[in-house]
Amino acid sequence: MKRLMLVWLSALPLVFGGVAAAQDKYPSKPVKIVVPYAPGGATDITARIFGEHMKNSLGQPFVVENKPGAFGILGIEEMARAKPDGYTLFIGNVSTNAITPILFQKKFNINFERDVVSVTRMAIYPSFIITTTTGFDVKNVKELQEQAKKNPGKVRYTSAGVGSFPHFDMEVFSRRMGTDMVHIPNKTGAAGMINDLVVGDAQVAVLNSASSAAMIKAGKLRPIAVIAEQRLKEYPDVPTLAEAGFPNVGTLHWQSMFAPAQTPKPVLETIFKAVQDAAKVPALQEAFAKQLVSVRPSDSLADAASWHKNELNTWRKTTSEVKIDLTD
Amino acid sequence: MDFLANLGLGFGVALTPANLGFALIGCLVGTLVGVLPGIGPVATVAMLLPLTFHLEPVSGLIMLAGIFYGAQYGGSTTAILVNMPGETSSVVTCIDGHQMARNGRAGAALTVAALGSFFAGTVATLMIALFSPPLALVGQSFGAPEYFSLMAVGLIAAVVLAHGSIVKAVAMVLLGLLLGLVGTDGQTGGQRFTFGVTILSDGIGFVPLAIGIFGLGEVIANLVAPQQRRELVSSRISNLWLTKEEFRQAWPASVRGTLIGSVLGVLPGGGATLSAFAGYVLEKKVARDPSRFGKGAIEGVAGPESANNAGAQTSFIPMLTLGIPGNAVMALMIGALTIHGIQPGPQVMTERPALFWGMIASMWIGNVMLLVINLPMIGLWVQLLKVPYRQLYLAILLFSAIGVYTVNNNTFEVILTALFGIVGYIFIRLECEPAPLLLGFILGPLMEENLRRAMRISGGDPMIFLNRPISLGLLIAAALLLLVVALPAIRGKREEVFQEK
Repeated sequence: MKRLMLVWLSALPLVFGGVAAAQDKYPSKPVKIVVPYAPGGATDITARIFGEHMKNSLGQPFVVENKPGAFGILGIEEMARAKPDGYTLFIGNVSTNAITPILFQKKFNINFERDVVSVTRMAIYPSFIITTTTGFDVKNVKELQEQAKKNPGKVRYTSAGVGSFPHFDMEVFSRRMGTDMVHIPNKTGAAGMINDLVVGDAQVAVLNSASSAAMIKAGKLRPIAVIAEQRLKEYPDVPTLAEAGFPNVGTLHWQSMFAPAQTPKPVLETIFKAVQDAAKVPALQEAFAKQLVSVRPSDSLADAASWHKNELNTWRKTTSEVKIDLTD
Repeated sequence: MDFLANLGLGFGVALTPANLGFALIGCLVGTLVGVLPGIGPVATVAMLLPLTFHLEPVSGLIMLAGIFYGAQYGGSTTAILVNMPGETSSVVTCIDGHQMARNGRAGAALTVAALGSFFAGTVATLMIALFSPPLALVGQSFGAPEYFSLMAVGLIAAVVLAHGSIVKAVAMVLLGLLLGLVGTDGQTGGQRFTFGVTILSDGIGFVPLAIGIFGLGEVIANLVAPQQRRELVSSRISNLWLTKEEFRQAWPASVRGTLIGSVLGVLPGGGATLSAFAGYVLEKKVARDPSRFGKGAIEGVAGPESANNAGAQTSFIPMLTLGIPGNAVMALMIGALTIHGIQPGPQVMTERPALFWGMIASMWIGNVMLLVINLPMIGLWVQLLKVPYRQLYLAILLFSAIGVYTVNNNTFEVILTALFGIVGYIFIRLECEPAPLLLGFILGPLMEENLRRAMRISGGDPMIFLNRPISLGLLIAAALLLLVVALPAIRGKREEVFQEK
C-alpha cells in the first residue's frame, strides 16, 4: 500500500506537468524519512510536520517510514545501509542517536560515528522535574532533597525505562542531592510515567513539559524545576534546575535529522536549507510552540556535526559516571 | 439532566454535515483496511495523520475513530471467515466464529458480530455519558499491586478458555508465559532469550504469533486434510440471517459482554485487551451446555464481540483523561490531539466539552454507519468462502505476509510468522488450544512487570497485595476461580462438561 502510494504520488508531477522538468536535480522522486518509533510519538509527529513543509519547498513528498525496535538500532542501520543519495533520511532523538550509540555500541552492525552524519538539529524539548501531589507534598527542590534524605529508599522515581535519559537524569540528580531514591522503570513512556505518578506508584520524575501540562493544571502533578536554558514563559514561577542549585544536571531533549555519511555534500545542503525554511514557517512554529517545544535548527552542516559530536562526548561521560549494568 | 445536556452538545457537534462526512469516510476506509489484512489500521491512520493537521481537532478525531472501529469490525470478519485474528481482540472471535463458518453459519456469525457490536456501542455510549467522571477515577486507583492481582484473575481464567484437557490448557498458558518473557527485562535492562538477535530485544510481536499460530496453522491443517472435507465446508452455506433459536441464545450473551467490556475498558492499558477474553470466559461459565463452545457456539461470538466493542469505547476515557492509549491507533489519535496543542488530561471533559462529547456521540454514529455498511456486505463476504481453497489459501498467505510486514516494516517478523505457522499446525495435531497460549503471552509479562514493580514499591514486603482493598478483592476472586477449576468434586463435573465427546 505504502509502495503503491509512493508510485501514485510520484506520478502526480507527471500528471500535472512541468514540475519534474529537471530529472537530475535533487529531489526528483519521493524521499523516505526513517523514524525509529511507531507512528504517533513525538519524533514521528516532528518528522511528519517537517515532511509536510519540506514537500512544499522541494516539490517532492517526504514519506515517513516507521522502523521501531532495538533502542533505535534497526532504524539507524536501515538508513546507514541505504544508498547515500539523499533519498533516505532519518529523524531521531537524544535517546536513539546519542545514548544508544554509546550504551549499545556492541549491538550495532555498523560503525555509527563513521557511517552516519548529522544533517541538522531540529527541535529542543524542555523537561520538568515533577512531583506527584498524591500522598506526597514537596513544593521545591530543597524540600524534595530533605524528604528523600529523611526517608532513604522510600522516595521513588519513574522513568521511560532502564537506560533512558530520564533514568540517567534522575540518577545523576539523586547523586548530586546526596539521596538514595528507588527507580521504578516504566516501559510505556510518558503516559505510563504520568500514571505512575498520579496513582502514587512513584513520587518524582523527569518528564517532558508538554506531556505533563494537563495534569499540572488539574493539580495532580507539580513541577518543581525545569530543565531548560531559561524559565518557560508559561511557568514563570518554576526555576530552572540550575537556579535551584543543580547546574549541569539534566538533559535537553532534542530531535535531529541524520543521513548516510557518504551522501553528497550539495544534496545535504539542499536538505539542510529545506529544514531551515520549514523552521521559519509560522504554522510550523505555532504547532511546536503549543507543545512548549522550540524549533532550533543548526546554523550549518558543520555546526550540526560538531554539536552532535559534543552530544556523544557528553553521554560518554554520563554513562561512565552512572554505570548501568546492561547484561547481554 | 446533566447527561442529556452533554449528549445533546455531543450530537450537536457530531451531526454537522461535515463531521458526518468525516465519520462516513473513516468507517468506509476502516472497513476496507480491516478486511484486507495486508493494510493495517495503524499504517492507514499514520498516512492520514498529516491531513488532520488542517482539520478541526474534533473532525480529525471523528475520522480516525471511524477508521479504528471500521478496522476492528473488519478484523472480526477475517477472524470468522479465515481464522485470521488481526488484533488481540479478535483472537477469541476465531474460536467459535470460525467454527460457525465451518458449519455453514458464516453469515449468522458475521451478523451477530455486527449486531452485538452495535448494541455494545450504544450501551457504552450511554454509560460514558452517565458515569464518565467516576469511571475515570476507577482507572486512577489502579497501581502496580492492583494490576498484578487483576492479571492473576485473568491467567486463571485463561484455563477456562480451552475446551479440551485441563493439563494441556495449563501447559499452553505456561508456554505463552515463557514466550512473553523473551526480550529486554523492563526492570534491569538485561536481555532474556534473545540469543544475540538484536530484533528480539523488543520481544516477540503479538501479530506474528497470533497470525502464525491461528491463521497459518489452520492453512497447513486444511491443506493436509483430504480435499472433499475442505470443499464440503465451503459449499454448505445456509441462511445469512440468525435463526430464532440463535437470536434467543445470542442476545443475553451480548448484554453480558457489553457490561463486562464497559467496566474493563476503563482500566488504562490492559483493560480493553482483556474484555474480549473475559466476555468469552463468562459465556462459557454461564452456559447451560459449555461443551458446545469451541464448536461454533453463537454466544462465543456474541459475548466477546460485544465486550470488545464496549471496551474499545470506554477505553477512550483513560485515553482522553490520562493520555494512555489502549492500542496503536489510539496512540496516533493522541498524536493528532497534541498537534492541536490539546494534552489529554482530567480536564478535557470540562474544558473541551464539545470535543469530548462530540467524539462520544460520533462513536455511536460510527456504529450506526458500520451496521449500515456491513450488513448488506455479509452476503458478499460469505461468497468468499466459495472460492476454491487452493486459491483462497494463497491469498491468505500473501495478505498475512504483507500484514505482518507492515506492522514494523520488518522481514524478520514475517519469517517468525512462518515458524509459528508450523508450531500452530503441531498444536492442532496435538489438540492443544492456542487461545490460552495467547492469553498467557499477553498477561504474563504484564503480571511479572507489575509484581516486580509492586515489590519495589513496598521494599520487598508481599503484604502490599493484601493491604490494598482492590488488590485483595481481586486476589480473593482469583482464589475462588482457582477453587472452581481445581476442586476434585467440581473437577469431575468439569471434565464431564468440558471434555469433548
